[in-house]
Amino acid sequence: MLSSMAAAGSVTAALQVTEVLEAIVSCCVGPEGRQVLCTKPTGEVLLSRNGGRLLEALHLEHPIARMIVDCVSSHLKKTGDGAKTFIIYLCHLLRGLHSITEKEKDSLMCENIQTYGRHWKNCCQWKFISQALLTFQTQVLDGIMDQYLSRHFLSIFSSAKEKTLCRSSLELLLEAYFCGRVGRNNHKFISQLMCDYFFKCTTCKSGTDVFELVDDCFVELNVGVTGLPVSDSRIIAGLVLQKDFSRYCPADGDIRMVIVTETIQPLFSASGSEFILNSEAQFQTSQFWIMEKTKAIMKHLCSQNVTLLLSSVRQPDLVIYYAGVNGISVVECLSSEEISLIQRIIGLSPFVPLHALSQCEISNTALVKFCKPLILRSRRYVHLGLISTCTFIPHCIVLCGPVQGLIKQHEDALHGAFKMLRQLFKDLDLNYVTQANDQSDTASLFICKNSGESYKVPDAHNGSIQKPYPDTVIENKDELEKTQTYLKAYSNLAISDVELETYIPYSIPKLTPADTFQTDETLRCLSLEKNRLIGDYEALLKSSSTAYSTRGNNRIEICYENLQVTNITGKGGLLPVSFKLQNMGTSQSYLSSSVPAGCVLPVGGNFEILLHYYLLNYAKKCHQSEETVVSIIANALLGIPKVLYKSKTGKDSFPHMYIRAVHALQTNEPIVSSQAGLESVTGKCQLLTSVLQCLTKILTIDLVITVKRHPQKVHSQDSEDEL
Amino acid sequence: MSRLDAKKPSLCKSEPLTSERVRTTLSVLKRIVTSCYGPSGRLKQLHNGSGGYVCTTSQSSALLSHLSVTHPILKILTASVQNHVSSFSDCGLFTAILCCNLIENVQRLGLTPTSVIRLNTHLLSLCISYLKSETCGCRIPVDFSSTQILLCLVRSILTSKPACTLTRAETEHISALILRAFLLTIPENAEGHIILGKCLIVPLKGQRVIDSTVLPGILIEMSEVQLMRLLPIKKSAALKVALFCTTLSGDISDTGEGTVVLSYGVSLENAVLDQLLNLGRQLVSDHVDLVLCQKVIHPSLKQFLNMHRVIAIDRIGVTLMEPLTKMTGTQPIGSLGSISPNSYGSVKDVCTAKFGSKHFVHLIPNEATICSLLLCNRNDAAWDELKLTCQAALHVLQLTLKEPWALLGGGCTETHLAAYIRHKTHNNPESILKDDECTQTELQLIAEAFCSALESVVGSLEHDGGEILTDMKYGHLWSVQADSPCLVNWPDLLSQCGCGLYNSREELSWSFLRSTHHPFVPQTCLSHEAVGSVSNLTLDCLTAKLSGLQVAVETANLILDLSYVIEDTN
Repeated sequence: MLSSMAAAGSVTAALQVTEVLEAIVSCCVGPEGRQVLCTKPTGEVLLSRNGGRLLEALHLEHPIARMIVDCVSSHLKKTGDGAKTFIIYLCHLLRGLHSITEKEKDSLMCENIQTYGRHWKNCCQWKFISQALLTFQTQVLDGIMDQYLSRHFLSIFSSAKEKTLCRSSLELLLEAYFCGRVGRNNHKFISQLMCDYFFKCTTCKSGTDVFELVDDCFVELNVGVTGLPVSDSRIIAGLVLQKDFSRYCPADGDIRMVIVTETIQPLFSASGSEFILNSEAQFQTSQFWIMEKTKAIMKHLCSQNVTLLLSSVRQPDLVIYYAGVNGISVVECLSSEEISLIQRIIGLSPFVPLHALSQCEISNTALVKFCKPLILRSRRYVHLGLISTCTFIPHCIVLCGPVQGLIKQHEDALHGAFKMLRQLFKDLDLNYVTQANDQSDTASLFICKNSGESYKVPDAHNGSIQKPYPDTVIENKDELEKTQTYLKAYSNLAISDVELETYIPYSIPKLTPADTFQTDETLRCLSLEKNRLIGDYEALLKSSSTAYSTRGNNRIEICYENLQVTNITGKGGLLPVSFKLQNMGTSQSYLSSSVPAGCVLPVGGNFEILLHYYLLNYAKKCHQSEETVVSIIANALLGIPKVLYKSKTGKDSFPHMYIRAVHALQTNEPIVSSQAGLESVTGKCQLLTSVLQCLTKILTIDLVITVKRHPQKVHSQDSEDEL
Repeated sequence: MSRLDAKKPSLCKSEPLTSERVRTTLSVLKRIVTSCYGPSGRLKQLHNGSGGYVCTTSQSSALLSHLSVTHPILKILTASVQNHVSSFSDCGLFTAILCCNLIENVQRLGLTPTSVIRLNTHLLSLCISYLKSETCGCRIPVDFSSTQILLCLVRSILTSKPACTLTRAETEHISALILRAFLLTIPENAEGHIILGKCLIVPLKGQRVIDSTVLPGILIEMSEVQLMRLLPIKKSAALKVALFCTTLSGDISDTGEGTVVLSYGVSLENAVLDQLLNLGRQLVSDHVDLVLCQKVIHPSLKQFLNMHRVIAIDRIGVTLMEPLTKMTGTQPIGSLGSISPNSYGSVKDVCTAKFGSKHFVHLIPNEATICSLLLCNRNDAAWDELKLTCQAALHVLQLTLKEPWALLGGGCTETHLAAYIRHKTHNNPESILKDDECTQTELQLIAEAFCSALESVVGSLEHDGGEILTDMKYGHLWSVQADSPCLVNWPDLLSQCGCGLYNSREELSWSFLRSTHHPFVPQTCLSHEAVGSVSNLTLDCLTAKLSGLQVAVETANLILDLSYVIEDTN
């Protein structure tokens, strides 16, 4: 149908496609999601709730579907999360756009425009919309995130400076993550396993490099064992190589090891050379020489206390024999990934056999705590106790399960979780444009979460001395304003925060919750109409004179929210922090800010509802055309919580929850979330951007032309049916 | 012409369990496995339509590996049973039947998968913790100081595999052999970490089962002609052994990546042969008595060795290498040159032996944990089944050594467990429904489905139309023959419960297993006198059964949780 010459409605077509995809992925979303069984052409069976994998397994033929899948997979490559949400969100966006066109079609009916002409008109309109989307995504979205949403962010870190994680908050984050990834009866267990693994592998000094290492080498860091119940999965210290010893010599005391990447036995003839044999004796002597040389190298290794030889290539029998004679254990045929992982952990370079004899001491050896065979369900592995020279303390996960497909699912989920953590530990840059000028100090709002309440809490709970911000810090800020480098500011501010420990707001606020909100609103109006600006600004100054008088013309906004105040989930150890810095231009200014590392929000559609709310507020003061686009985006966001709350009834149903949340936002009260659990903000922001980019791409297409290749049949009709 | 083809789109089906096709295939599989279960299970003959090997079996491992299932859901089910069997060797059919029953029973209820899975998991953990607890009424300790319970365990495994076609006496004989073989693999001076040896099964088909035997050491099969050539060695001390893993055939080994240019008249073969003979000389001067080679020995070298009264045996094969290394204590030699003297090993004696029509060289160890089980049976199919059974029994004994407990067999554990679960969910539902949103009604429904799944597993022990009863005191299983008169006293008809622990002389009351009856508390805590007095118990391996139970419930949960099946048709 579409492939013939579908032009008229690329939105309609895309909507049809995404609706089908949505039907499939939405049954796997969230804690109530179910499993999907995929078979491979090889007969392998795979269980999955991973959106990316499902889309891949479908082998879609429809051109638009393929484009969407491409977009999803490029998003996944970046973040490793959010494929299902991507589809749901995209579907709701398209639905929103589609309903508008339906309306407009009705109005167009009266006019006598030729269908063809109308099509082109539509296309122009799509183009316009897609441009509007692009503008929104590049110029507005980050701003909203920065100016409004950031006040709700919590930090996963128990100490922002050192980026340390406490177990309870990591548990909340991981449990929420695995809820959507693995079977219902296993997600608690798997998230505990991951938590244990995390804390066993990292030290207090470990940074993001550990996540990078685990993410890069995850395949080598886990072992799958079929035929055992999932609950037998465990973590073992050291590294497990999925090979058996070629020769095992039990050794006690010091175990030293070397890595080789070539055969130790000298070759009879080197590649590219010619070896001319003139007599039998010559052959025998050269054989003898080879033998003696091999023997000497192995003896030399032995004399240097080397008891373990790891080789990336197969070693000849001779080498294995002499290794055995000298009490050296040998593991052969290690993959390049395994070798590189070992090298990353212990920082050991390979040993070059031929140079070995010239040196009296071999420098590239490493000490190993233990080295023994490990038997897991009648398969033998090599178990190495490496002594790490980096911040990663080597541990392996043994994943058990009744079938390979389930083990694979758990492996994927764990890998994805590390990807997610890797992203979470990075700052996400936000860049946006704001309509403001010198006088309107839009950003200098002091926003305090939970307003009055939170101001009191530090007094009462922390009970420590609360000093006003030291002057030096303010100077600092002025300086930074000049240099306008974000990074420095961030680090400085972070330090000052930690120095103060219990941080008190810069100004002594007399703002009531209502005031803050009002100010907020006023300022938004300000940015639009310049005429009224001055007057309103004065009014604003009156209403919050204390706050501004102390600040003067300071244009750096610092929005500190409080230390473990009454935070939303009520769990301790979370530290809501957000930093902001912006440089002001004249009428249109480019701002850059960031979502700091470790920002999280409670799960269950919190992010979507918040963003929805602020977007709607924003839309109110936009031009009519822009307003529609923004409100479509805002409404589409609700699609995700709607799916999540599908099975809930009564007071927990979506409409109730939504109304409660909006009411809470309007009265500036904290939103009470029914589910414990946290999710990364960074991931959500990136997802939103990716979806909008994908939509832009879809909208810019006006014609899908199928080029019929010679002998091939076109199955697109079938693919529609089968879906 | 391009051979590149675009990928065909996959087939995607929603709610696979509701489809008629899946239900039928599941019930076919269930019929196949239930009809095989137990000592009176029916045999299956598996063969390829175009001829070839015919397998007669009632064992899950053989059955499932020969069946080719196509539906992805069945693949999951059979794969998880096979994986269980490959790691525990026992309780495969139990797992398969329980899993099918659970799926079938739960499907009928029409509850949401969330609560089903949650409650199933709760019930499973209830079972596991009961079976592991001290108060468990269907678990007995295994005493390694006497053979009684170990023999019962082995015998139960043998009797549950009717395709071995063993008579009563043969069963006793084989059980004893298996136990002896197992005991031979345990090192004598075991301190701390025990490393078990190996029992090699040597086939001897077409002989009487009674002729089977166990020998310490290794048997290497050989043709009669070869055997004649071996000279008898008369030596009082142990024999020195050299074991080669590299070829001694005189091939020119790997010459590197470059090219080798030979001048006219140079023969590398001669050069290598010279090397081999030098090696032979070294072996002789080192007083080696026995040369074993994994690969081929050059005839000239063989002759040379024979001349010097050294026995040379080649083509041993890679499977025997590890036991040989272990038994003789050698270092497999990979060199044609200088051999380090500490790489030689020793055996106590070498002799020739003839069993049936086959000739063997028998290497007798000094003290080692390697033994050979010479297994005979009448025909190929029965031998294959017997071999699998023996392997399973040996594995079960190993598992029991690790966890010295056994469960009562003959279906008594299942009925007892079902009675326990029923009682628990009836009297104390709050403790199970601690934290979640499931209602009591849901719990009752699922518990009933769970218990009846367990009970119908043992129901399939009966294939001849008999009735199955349970007593209201111990919760054990009792079976009645099909054509028994109905108006008699129960104790006259029933002699013993399924496992053989209790007899009908005691004052008990019975009820049909399938009828509804009031939940009762099955008696927990087995008394030691009761166990000690019975000589012939039917027992199951605890480790295997626990894992089977877990795998069955986990797999059923997995299958019940499926919302889509995406089949790649490429």
